Amino acid sequence: MQKLLETLLIGVSTGSIYALMSLALVLVWRSTRVVNFAQAGQAMLSTYFGYEIASRSEIFWLGLAAAIIAGALVGAGVDFFFMRVLFKRAISGPAAVVAPVIATLGLLGLIRSIVGLTWGGEFKSIQAPASKDGLTIGQTTIPFSALNILIIATVSLILITLAIIFQRTNLGLSLRASAYAPEIAQLAGIRTARTRTIGWAIAGGVGAVAGMLVTSYNFLSPYSLDLLLVFGFIAAVIGGLESMVGSVIGALVLGIGLTFILNYVGTSLVFIGGFVVLIVVLLVKPDGIMARGKARRA
Amino acid sequence: MRKKIILFILLGWLLLVIGDRVDELRVYQGAQIAMYTIALASIVLLTGYSGQVSLGNGAMMAVGGYAAALTLNNLGSPVWFAFLMAIFFSALFGALLGTAAARLSGPYLAGTTLALAVGLPAIANQFSFLGGEPGIFFDVGLPPQRLGQEFTQYKWFFWIATLIALLALFITSNILQSRFGRTWRAIRSNPLATELSGIHSSQMKILAFTISSALAGLAGAVLAMTISLVAPGAYTLTLSFALVTGAVLAGVSSLPGVVLGALILVAIPEIADALANRLGGGENVSSYLPGLIVSILLILSVIFTPNGPGENLHRHHRKKA
Repeated sequence: MQKLLETLLIGVSTGSIYALMSLALVLVWRSTRVVNFAQAGQAMLSTYFGYEIASRSEIFWLGLAAAIIAGALVGAGVDFFFMRVLFKRAISGPAAVVAPVIATLGLLGLIRSIVGLTWGGEFKSIQAPASKDGLTIGQTTIPFSALNILIIATVSLILITLAIIFQRTNLGLSLRASAYAPEIAQLAGIRTARTRTIGWAIAGGVGAVAGMLVTSYNFLSPYSLDLLLVFGFIAAVIGGLESMVGSVIGALVLGIGLTFILNYVGTSLVFIGGFVVLIVVLLVKPDGIMARGKARRA
Repeated sequence: MRKKIILFILLGWLLLVIGDRVDELRVYQGAQIAMYTIALASIVLLTGYSGQVSLGNGAMMAVGGYAAALTLNNLGSPVWFAFLMAIFFSALFGALLGTAAARLSGPYLAGTTLALAVGLPAIANQFSFLGGEPGIFFDVGLPPQRLGQEFTQYKWFFWIATLIALLALFITSNILQSRFGRTWRAIRSNPLATELSGIHSSQMKILAFTISSALAGLAGAVLAMTISLVAPGAYTLTLSFALVTGAVLAGVSSLPGVVLGALILVAIPEIADALANRLGGGENVSSYLPGLIVSILLILSVIFTPNGPGENLHRHHRKKA
């Protein structure tokens, strides 16, 4: 019973970090119709900035703020200098399907090499803002730590902020409108290109938080966020790739599911577990858990 | 058809002659090029022809590598049989996966295969008969005595790899020129019209996935041969990304291009090393410079010649005609 509860709690904490990455992917997908494989690279680059600030000031939260700002700038920059150029050249022929995927993969490689050339490949760690030791309740110590609570709290705060932005502000309305029907939004006077860049900036900031949180209880290297990308993508697909709420639910489900595999089945099967979940979801409910009726299967 | 056979035999003879003239390192790199050639052919068939994007070819290669090693070690079979088993099991696996993949497209398929590339090699850590992280040996044995004393192990690898690559390319090019190749191209450019012409597009996609996996598995076994080992560390996500990169750089829908792509994949780390030595950079430069060069090439080629370097040439020809 205790193990079950532990697994559930750790699962929620892990899942909440996946939620940020999958939200970032969904935000970009909705506005640009591109699954941004470079999101892991953008998050990594911003986390390195956060690492620099956090290790100099010895304040985690200052590092997090720096990472968010860096993430937003990098995100906006990628859209402005890269995606716009790519889409201006309407690509035809056999590569048309592959081009966006390849382009973001190329960007991931580019960011990775730049980070590697600048910071090197050795593992870096950031002083966590809270204790990683398990909480003690009465006589027993569980692996769920103060840091886990802080992670869940931080993610909740960010989700609430995003919900307010998207539901209650003009910016949120234009973001939703340009994602839903870009042409009509444009006719209604929304500058869709600029809105899209803002969407990329928000996604970049959210991804950066995910990177910082992962790094707070793990380490940072040019490859350390690849798994986060894969699990974030799986979570996004569980949620249908279109729905922001769906992607958060998907991430929590995935986080809990994978923690169960980790604690009850075997460490090495966690990775393939993600793949199995993905295949099952795609075969049973290809439009995701949030789909109502028939949606597109892009 | 007969012309093609003669061409391939001439090519093979030429390669073997060259293999006699150059030093050990180049011979070994020749074997690597042959391995990449097979792996890239599998991507060209899948992505360039049937229009499915797979980032999981590294995983398929792992299936082939493990199938070959397990066959050779446990059954004590001849080497050629191990390679056949690599093809068989990876094709089987590809058919299974293809059944799911045929329902997916674009980013969904790319992400799914990405998850596979991450997950599959890690399975080896779970089961002891797969050897865990250190992997299991794959030893094709010494070259036969009658080839002479000076015939080195690497040259033997090169011979086997080249022979397999030529055979694989020959068969693949025939498949691509057949009814199947035409149908795949039709599905890629207009799925609806193809369905209306009475073609089961999902069956054809599964077939493409199966053949492509078989090729990847074969490449995986050849890779295992050149490093005498199968281990999860040999079939990483980086390998899968490198393959896609090579295929795109060489023109994703041109089969002869795969040789060029394979050459690039083997040459770039070497060029980068030379550059890093000249620049006098430390370890960082030599380990991340190849990635930088490849990524920049990849991005430029997607933006300027997404269909490969041959594209502009073709357009030029068409204008003249």
